Amino acid sequence: MSALYALRYYFFYPSFFVVIIFPGLIFTTIVLLLTIWFERKAAALVQMRYGPLYVSKRVGGALQLVADAIRLVFSEIIIPVEVNPTLFVLAPALVFTFTFVPMILIPYSAIPQSGSILSPYFHIFYDPNIHKGLFIGYFVPYNIILIMGLSAITPVFILLQAWATNNRFAIVGAVRESLLAVSYDVLIVMSLAAVAIEYHTLDIAKITETGIPGIIANPLAALVFFIGMLMATGRFPFEIVEAESEVVVGPSTEYSGLLFVLAMGGSYVTTFALSFVFSDVFLGGWLPLNGLPGALWNSIKAIIVLWFTVFLRAVYGRYRIDQALRGSWKYLLPVAFASLVLGLVVGQLWIR
Amino acid sequence: MTSQLEFSASGLEVEIIPVEGELNVGPQHPGSGHMRIYVKLDGDIIVDAKIDPGYVHRGVEKLSEYRTYMKIIPLVERPAILDSIHMNLGYIMAVEKILGVDVPERAQYLRTLAAEVNRIASHLYGLGIWAIFLGHSTGYMWGFGDREVWLEILQALTGARVTNSYIIPGGVRRDLTPAIKEMVEKAIAYQRRKLQDWYKIFVNNPNIRARLENVGVMSRENAIKWGAVGPNLRASGVYYDVRKIEPYAAYDKVDFEIPVYKEGDAYARLLVRFAEIEQSMRILEQVIKNIPEGNILSDRFFKQIPPTRLKKWWEGQRRIVFPGYYASFRPPKGEAISRVEAGRGELVYYVISDGSANPYRLRMITPSYRTIYVFEQIVKGSRYADLPAIYGSLDYFPPEADR
Repeated sequence: MSALYALRYYFFYPSFFVVIIFPGLIFTTIVLLLTIWFERKAAALVQMRYGPLYVSKRVGGALQLVADAIRLVFSEIIIPVEVNPTLFVLAPALVFTFTFVPMILIPYSAIPQSGSILSPYFHIFYDPNIHKGLFIGYFVPYNIILIMGLSAITPVFILLQAWATNNRFAIVGAVRESLLAVSYDVLIVMSLAAVAIEYHTLDIAKITETGIPGIIANPLAALVFFIGMLMATGRFPFEIVEAESEVVVGPSTEYSGLLFVLAMGGSYVTTFALSFVFSDVFLGGWLPLNGLPGALWNSIKAIIVLWFTVFLRAVYGRYRIDQALRGSWKYLLPVAFASLVLGLVVGQLWIR
Repeated sequence: MTSQLEFSASGLEVEIIPVEGELNVGPQHPGSGHMRIYVKLDGDIIVDAKIDPGYVHRGVEKLSEYRTYMKIIPLVERPAILDSIHMNLGYIMAVEKILGVDVPERAQYLRTLAAEVNRIASHLYGLGIWAIFLGHSTGYMWGFGDREVWLEILQALTGARVTNSYIIPGGVRRDLTPAIKEMVEKAIAYQRRKLQDWYKIFVNNPNIRARLENVGVMSRENAIKWGAVGPNLRASGVYYDVRKIEPYAAYDKVDFEIPVYKEGDAYARLLVRFAEIEQSMRILEQVIKNIPEGNILSDRFFKQIPPTRLKKWWEGQRRIVFPGYYASFRPPKGEAISRVEAGRGELVYYVISDGSANPYRLRMITPSYRTIYVFEQIVKGSRYADLPAIYGSLDYFPPEADR
């Protein structure tokens, strides 16, 4: 019995369970495959066609993505002659890694002192701000700052990747990425700063546990964060970095096989991570549940946000880079300032 | 393209110099056809663009010097298979001028019908390609999906979706049946409904408007100077359409308008195309309603069809079987020029006959060929991201330009 108990203890240990199984690597991979399937299926519905179907007719072609993934993973990795092979291979791996790292720091659910399968970890992952345990890979009280900081590193590796491939289209894409990164980071940071001021904390769990969803307390911040998220992850209408008809695939132009999966999958992981942040901060996260069901409920919200962002593909084309920059600096930055003021006011009057 | 950083010896003094660079876009371009564009960039601004056509050159003009007049019909359709009725019609009109044939009224109406169905299909194809250039995948799928409706009509009428070879000297190959009339009516009703959705998701989409308004502006003077044709010319405020200026087929008997927009930007070119689809449907309605009874082939050729074959094919299925004359007829010496308004603009054929079974010379000036110079001029000074938007707005089709 004790061996089984120990096994269960280590299996559900959040640092392992969150990072590797749920909602970490394995769950994220499954969600990403389903997301791409949904993206194609939803677009197909709008566009009067079937979308993926023939690989598995009974489940609407959901296994098409598994087939695609297997094909991509086993296809040859072509390394151009005139590149530095080390950097060429390393860059997409770094991109993918740093898109994933923020997921470790996002609180997915609260752990009650007793009654949950996660209760043994109550004291280890104790959050003094909310007087509960947290279902999280690694707990830091200032997790908003750390998440923002880590997700802001990704563009640097995208630049490295483009530089390493020594391709003109990649460089043009990288220049676009760097220009966009500057503008969307400002938006995301400012909207989260507004919320942080409003809730008097830099701990995402405290914001969630306050019980007032951020979208009610500060709808402007939610709007700015959502658009910043679309820009950060290259979803339509801001699919500017990888614009196919303009710069082939942007920074990933020269990549093939597994490296291409790493280079392109990164944006979906970022979207999923930021969807979790959006769900926690603006949609009430795991409330009113806690423990594992709370994490599941939180994931459902995040997946809805994620699927909404990918659905925009069926509605919009892409903006030009200067239009996106003008939109973010001229129109959204004032909205972000307004959300900051709103946060200050509401934080003083309503949320104590 | 990239900014060059210079570090002086004193410290971190950074000077940003806009660097010129060149991009080779294509020839395998993620759009239509094969063509290379040498783009010279200064930062994000296009300084110069040179088009390098010829990747899909088929040698139509030279090949036609070695083929009989009938065998040239499928050949001239090849450069623009999605606009093949017009390619076919222009050539046949030139040949008919040399032969001196009168075409029966009903055949003229049928030519108009096929041409307008093909014009709608061609515009929808162009719009689809344009939409995917802008990243709008729904417009792409809808363009190709709606085009299918019109191709079905062409298939029922001519027997082929594209490269129909429908129009022959002296008339057309097949007659209109009540079933096809019904198909056309249904298609018009469907397309009118669908155009409302098009306006909602594509034309009035703020994203698409932002991408197209004030992009690739061509003034009236420039449009005339650069030799723009078709919808591109009409979007710059020039009232010019061969169907009105020099009516052929049954265009002088139907009532329609030529949409003209003054703005001359890519968005005006989009609106012109949609307005033309609506006008084409108006023409189709009138053709269906007013089409006269009668023969679909000139009597001169009709009389040569053997009676047994005539009974089986013409009376049974309302189809023309080729009389022996077509096998290798030798038109009298002479030359002829013909103009038609193809989907992309004015299409000119010049045929010289030396009295043999093959033309001495066939010259075709396609609308896309004339778009090359317009394209090179119009993209100067615009942003690199506008290159696909302008490309799509001109509806440039490389095989048509290369011939």
